[in-house]
Amino acid sequence: MNWWEVLVQQTINGLTRGAVFALIAMGYTMVYGIIELINFAHGDVFMLGLFISLFWFTLLGVTKTLSLAGLVTLLPLVFVLTMLTTAALNVAIDRVAYRPLRRSPRLAPLITAIGVSFMLENVALLWKGPAPIAYPDVFPSVDILREWVGVDSAIFVTTKDVLVIAATIPLMIALHYFVTRTRWGKAMRATAQDRETAQAMGIDVERTILVTFFVGGALAGAAGLIQGMYYNIGMWWMGYQAGLRAFTAAVLGGIGSMGGAALGGLVIGFLSAWSDQYISARWTNAIVFSILILVLVFRPHGLLGERAVDKA
Amino acid sequence: MKRALGPALLVVALLLYPFLDRALGFQTVHAVSDGMIYVLLALGLNIVVGYAGLLDLGYAAFFAIGAYAMALLNSPVLGSPLYGHAWSFWLCIWIAAAVSALLGVAIGAPTLRVRGDYLAIITLGFGEIIPVAIRNLGDITIDIGGWRLVERLNLTGGENGVNPVGRPYLPGVPFETDPTPWYFLILIIGAASLWAMNRLRDSRLGRAWMAIREDETAADCTGVNPISTKLLAFALGASFSGFAGSVYAAKLTAITPGAFEFQVSIMLLCMVVLGGAGSLRGVILGGMLITIFDRVVLSQSTSLVRWLGRTTGVPLLASLDLTLWRWFFFGLGLVLVMLLRPQGLAGRRRGATTLAPAEVEPVAAEPSAPPRVEAIPEWLRERVASTSAGPILEVRGLTKRFGGVVALNEVDLVVPRGAIIGLIGPNGAGKTTFFNAVTGLVRADSGRVAFEGASLVGLRPNAIVARGIARTFQSIRLFPEMTVLENVLVGEHCRLRATVYGAVRRPPSVRAEEHRARERGRALLAFVGLGGKEDDRARNLPYGDQRRLEIARALATEPKVLLLDEPTAGMNPRETETLTDLIGLLRRELALSVLLIEHDMEVVMRISDRITVLDYGTRIAEGTPAEIQRHPRVIEAYLGTGYEQELAGRDAPR
Repeated sequence: MNWWEVLVQQTINGLTRGAVFALIAMGYTMVYGIIELINFAHGDVFMLGLFISLFWFTLLGVTKTLSLAGLVTLLPLVFVLTMLTTAALNVAIDRVAYRPLRRSPRLAPLITAIGVSFMLENVALLWKGPAPIAYPDVFPSVDILREWVGVDSAIFVTTKDVLVIAATIPLMIALHYFVTRTRWGKAMRATAQDRETAQAMGIDVERTILVTFFVGGALAGAAGLIQGMYYNIGMWWMGYQAGLRAFTAAVLGGIGSMGGAALGGLVIGFLSAWSDQYISARWTNAIVFSILILVLVFRPHGLLGERAVDKA
Repeated sequence: MKRALGPALLVVALLLYPFLDRALGFQTVHAVSDGMIYVLLALGLNIVVGYAGLLDLGYAAFFAIGAYAMALLNSPVLGSPLYGHAWSFWLCIWIAAAVSALLGVAIGAPTLRVRGDYLAIITLGFGEIIPVAIRNLGDITIDIGGWRLVERLNLTGGENGVNPVGRPYLPGVPFETDPTPWYFLILIIGAASLWAMNRLRDSRLGRAWMAIREDETAADCTGVNPISTKLLAFALGASFSGFAGSVYAAKLTAITPGAFEFQVSIMLLCMVVLGGAGSLRGVILGGMLITIFDRVVLSQSTSLVRWLGRTTGVPLLASLDLTLWRWFFFGLGLVLVMLLRPQGLAGRRRGATTLAPAEVEPVAAEPSAPPRVEAIPEWLRERVASTSAGPILEVRGLTKRFGGVVALNEVDLVVPRGAIIGLIGPNGAGKTTFFNAVTGLVRADSGRVAFEGASLVGLRPNAIVARGIARTFQSIRLFPEMTVLENVLVGEHCRLRATVYGAVRRPPSVRAEEHRARERGRALLAFVGLGGKEDDRARNLPYGDQRRLEIARALATEPKVLLLDEPTAGMNPRETETLTDLIGLLRRELALSVLLIEHDMEVVMRISDRITVLDYGTRIAEGTPAEIQRHPRVIEAYLGTGYEQELAGRDAPR
């Protein structure tokens, strides 16, 4: 591989990674936008999404690569089931751990969020054990350039890469439509801007928050499923790392901004892939966190976010 | 006598414990000593989280720095540049604390600009970066274009950590073979730390920490410098973990980066939150409970459950290992404590009073005595009185825009010495923005603010308070969880001199200063009519009392100009009357200059020497009360056409 092939390859890797980060980051950014809470457990909902999708695949008897008929029928079904499960989980987390603390100091729900995160991780640990879990290769992997196009290139693009993009983009478009065009989306945006006024205008704020957690959880579940099909492996501790990277993405893009979360996810995806290649995978975490710190300190409203006005 | 008995028994028990343990053959001294190290860490974290209210999710990083500072200086084996220079433990422990404190400042400095939850994430980021750095700095090769700048340099021992780490040496004390000296070493360090922390809490610095925790903006506007105060919290909190880390490293004689992961930070946070952030006793209790739970309860109940499983024949129970659930229980503990008892086991319940005084009808509250000339504290008379000539506050062309809105447009205002100046105008006219711009809370786009001839532009609020301008807020901003007296003492902060060293050592000068400060605070509270309420929590005061406390806090900063933002808002006529008298008295007796935002026209017209009227950020009139009442633009914009008749009708029967 010459240098530009390496660069292209790592950029493709970054794109697929970034797409997953973006889906998780959207859940972070939605929840933060509406109740100003860093939902620390969100990364673990993503992790559980992977295992839950595995559970649904197993229940449906899928243990090996799906046929075309399976891809058209079973895969969408598992998507829906997984997203519904994680959405319900996310709503339950809010009800139990965050909702009673709506009027508390801001750090109180953050602390419970950390507690929930620990609980979810350990539920996965006890459910699946400490070793990494193999995820069946349900999605057919075809080397597109060589097998379909007939180009003999060192660059490796598979149908799985296409899957990640093809699953992520419709989800993002659907979310964008939901937030900007529907009644619920309008209620969410109104509540995010000013909860009291939204309430005075007749918006059921609690129900709006519930919808937010539902949608955020569903996206995290989809991300978990995509992650599982792409990498074919799942670990109980992956939610923490992925969650922090996704949160970094959300902050980088401008927390509260959907487009920002998508952009931030891609940027973090590219940066982490390039860092793995050109610096050292050992340092990638430190680099991602340094970016997080720099953004929080010097540009806390992120790339696309509006400058937050201190409500004194 | 009875009060001293409990602590005395505790001391005896702590001193006798290792000998009892040996006599009975329990062999728990090692475990107890380890637990005490974690309690010490939790106490250090408590300074940051409990006192200063800064949520730190990466505290284990300081623990790591302390441990590695000790290990690197004291280990005879490491292939680092420090190789072969094993320094004495007794020296290293201080270096470790100093290095941790420095790192505390380095980590704290960039976080000062960000809000609470962002700060938490930044500390978490540092908490992640430090172990990564430690892991990777064990094998550094820097290769620039084939030129090996550094080759396989081992700074930290990498993944393998540092082993062995030297132990402390004292002639005749068996640190190598016996856990008892370790127990006493940690006990001494812990007791000394506890003593220092206790003194810090009841000091000028401790009050400043709590003020920042309660309301950073109000603290800044009361003369507390938030930047140095927060940095000191980070530095001091970190230094205790430096001690703990260095003892930990020397006791284990080996350290690995795995001992300082995120989980450790969270476990320490659990200890603080469970016991009650801010309460030393609570944190010790929380630390002990969690250590016991972790080391005793989990393993013991595992045996119990397994025994149950075997006897009842349930294989699931027989093979259960509850110690695997450790972190699950910690997470559950955090959630349950926050939901059920957010103030912690030992914390005071928020707002727990027999009768919520705020619910009492303001009129039914005891009638506040009218302020008396004799009651003016003598020290205030001396400090506040100013003699030099010229206007004390001069504002020229002050302009402030928020986006497209011009909140202040070329506003001029002069406060002559000893005058009361009214600032009136409709809602949204820019009155409070004017206050915020003068006190440094918002930065004006252009214009000049001069206090006694010196420019205030660009100064932070606390520096402006120190110059002699104090303010109150439209929506009362006290430090609600602090006592009435503590609120006033925070006001005196910028006039006190005690340093960190002074706060801990308490030399006679600091004792005298502290005593004087309390006397002054009491006198001031008696003067504004809050005598006898010194130890009430500010949040429990009735509304009118809260307003007066805010004025007392402002007076405690020894101001020359007092900026009052709607001081009579929400007061009944009697309270309004008393307060008006108080303001008049301050001016008459102390020559205190007052700038007053007020919507009660009766008050403004009665006590103001001159009045400035703002509308849409522009000054539309300035003059004596009589002139303002007849000013056509003011009547049109603010007073309304009915005002003249009302005023005439009110005057007539008298």
